[in-house]
Amino acid sequence: MSDVRHYLTVFGYYAKLAIQRQLEYPLFLVSWLLMIPTQYFAGVWMLRIIVDRFQPLEGWAFDDLAFLYGLGLLSHGLVVVFFIPTWGTEFAVIRGEFDRLLLRPMNVFFQFITGYFNFIGLIDLIPGVVIFLYAAHAVDFVWGPGNVVKLALVVIGGLFIRGSLYTIVGAVAFWTKRSRNLINMSVATLERTTMYPLTLYPHAVQAVLTFLFPIGFISFYPAESFLGKTSSLELPLGMAIWTPIAGIVCMAVAYTIFRMGLRKYESAGS
Amino acid sequence: MRAYGYLIKMRMLTSLAYRFDVWIGMIGDVILLAATVFIWKAAYGGDVLGSGASVVGLDGMITYTVISVLMTAVFSTGVQNTIYTQVREGNIALDFMRPLNLLGIYLSEDLGTMVSSIVNKAVPLVLMAALLFGFPMPDSPIAAALFTVSCMLSFMILWLMSAMVGLVAFWVAELGNLGMVKDAFVRVLSGSMVPLWFFPEGLQRVSEWLPFQYTYQLPLSVYIGMAKPAEALRGMGVQLIWIALLGVLLAWIWTRARGKVMVQGG
Repeated sequence: MSDVRHYLTVFGYYAKLAIQRQLEYPLFLVSWLLMIPTQYFAGVWMLRIIVDRFQPLEGWAFDDLAFLYGLGLLSHGLVVVFFIPTWGTEFAVIRGEFDRLLLRPMNVFFQFITGYFNFIGLIDLIPGVVIFLYAAHAVDFVWGPGNVVKLALVVIGGLFIRGSLYTIVGAVAFWTKRSRNLINMSVATLERTTMYPLTLYPHAVQAVLTFLFPIGFISFYPAESFLGKTSSLELPLGMAIWTPIAGIVCMAVAYTIFRMGLRKYESAGS
Repeated sequence: MRAYGYLIKMRMLTSLAYRFDVWIGMIGDVILLAATVFIWKAAYGGDVLGSGASVVGLDGMITYTVISVLMTAVFSTGVQNTIYTQVREGNIALDFMRPLNLLGIYLSEDLGTMVSSIVNKAVPLVLMAALLFGFPMPDSPIAAALFTVSCMLSFMILWLMSAMVGLVAFWVAELGNLGMVKDAFVRVLSGSMVPLWFFPEGLQRVSEWLPFQYTYQLPLSVYIGMAKPAEALRGMGVQLIWIALLGVLLAWIWTRARGKVMVQGG
C-alpha cells in the first residue's frame, strides 16, 4: 500500500514539474490552441457536409456520427495527456535516456510514462468535450448515474487500449532504433478507425480491428450500444465491461513487450 | 544556378536514403486514402442519393481522393518549419552568411524532396491505389497535361504561403509554429478533403476570392474533367495572379524580416 502511495507522490511531483516547464512559455500554446480545435471541428463539419449532401453513412445520421467522433476524441485527448512519452521512444532509445531510469529504484515503465505529463494535451480534449456534449444533447443521451459510470469506464478503457498500442509501436525502437514513423502511422490509423463507424470498412478490416487490435472497443462498439443501435458484435454483458477488459489485456501485453524491448536496450554511444 | 541544382540533388539523395521510413509513411498514406474512399463509398451507397451525387459520380470522387492524397504526399513545403526552427534556434544568422539567396536555397531543398517523393511515394502509392480501387484515370490526355501544369502552379502558391508563414517567426517565434494552423485551414479550404462544390453556397463565394481552392481543387477538378479545358486555362490564369501577388508580398516581408534578425542565446 505504501508502495502505491510512493508511486502516486512521485507521479504528483513529475506532473507538477512538467506543468511548470510547459507553462514557462505560455504564449507557445497559442498555435496549438488554434490548430487542434480547428482541425477537429473541421473534421466533424466535413462529416456534416457529406451527410447533408448525400445520406447518413451506413445508417449513421450526423448526430450519431458526431457522438462517435466526440467519444473517440475523449480517449484520444487523454492518451495525449498521459501517454505522450511513448511517441518519443525512438529518441529516448537513441539518446540513451533509459540509463537514467534504469538506475533508479522504481519501475522503468512507470517512470518513462509519467516522466512527461503532457499538460498541453488537454487542448486535444477541448474539441472532444465540446463535440461530445453537443452530440450527447442532440441524441438525447441520458446523463443518469448508470450512463455516467459506463461512459467513464469506456473512456478509461479506451485510454488504455490506445496507450498500449502506442507503447507497443514505440517499443519497436528497442529493436530497430526507429519507430517515430510507425507512431505517426498509428496515430493516423487510430484517428480514422475510432472516429468513423467501423461498418464503413470491409469485413476483413473490421475483424482485424476487433480481434487483432481491439480498436473497435475504443469508441465504435460502445457508441453503438449508447445509441441503442443493433450491435455489430454480439457479446454477453455490456460494452462498458468489455472495453476496460480489452484495455487491461492490451496494457498487460504492451507492458510485457516493453520489458522485452528494454532487455534489448544497449544505451547510447558507439 | 549550378549551386541550386546541387542543393536539389543532395536533398534528393538524402531523402532516398531513408527507404524504410518512406515505406512506413506510404502505408500510412494508403490507410488514410482507403479510409476516405470508404466514406465516399458509403455516401454514394444504396439507392437513396442526395443532391451531391448529381455533381460528380463515385468513380470521379475516388479518383479525386486518390490524386489528392498523392499531391499531399508529393508537395513538400518544409520551408515553414525550416525558417521557424532556424529562427528559434538562432541558426538563421549563419544561414544569411551563405553566398546564395536564402529563399532560393529553401526552395531548392523543397524541390529536391519533391522529386524524390515522386519516385519514392507517388509511384508506389499509385500502384497500391490502382490495386485497391482501380487506376485513377484522367478525363483525357489534355486534362492530364493541364493538370500537370496546374499542379506546378499549385505548388508555387502553397510554397509561397508556407514561406510567408515561416517568416512570421521573425516577429513572433514565441507563438509556436503557426504553420500548423495554416495547414489546418489549407486542408479544409483547398478542397483536398471534401471538394468545395459540396460546401454551403456562401462559403463557396468567399473562397473564390481566396488562394486556397487554387492549390488542390483546381488541378483535381481538371484531372477528373469537372473543369473543362477553357475553365482550366482561366483557373491557371488566376493561379498566376496569386503567385504574382504572394511573390511580391513575400519579397516585401523578406526585406523587412532580414532587418529583424535576432539571435537567441549566447
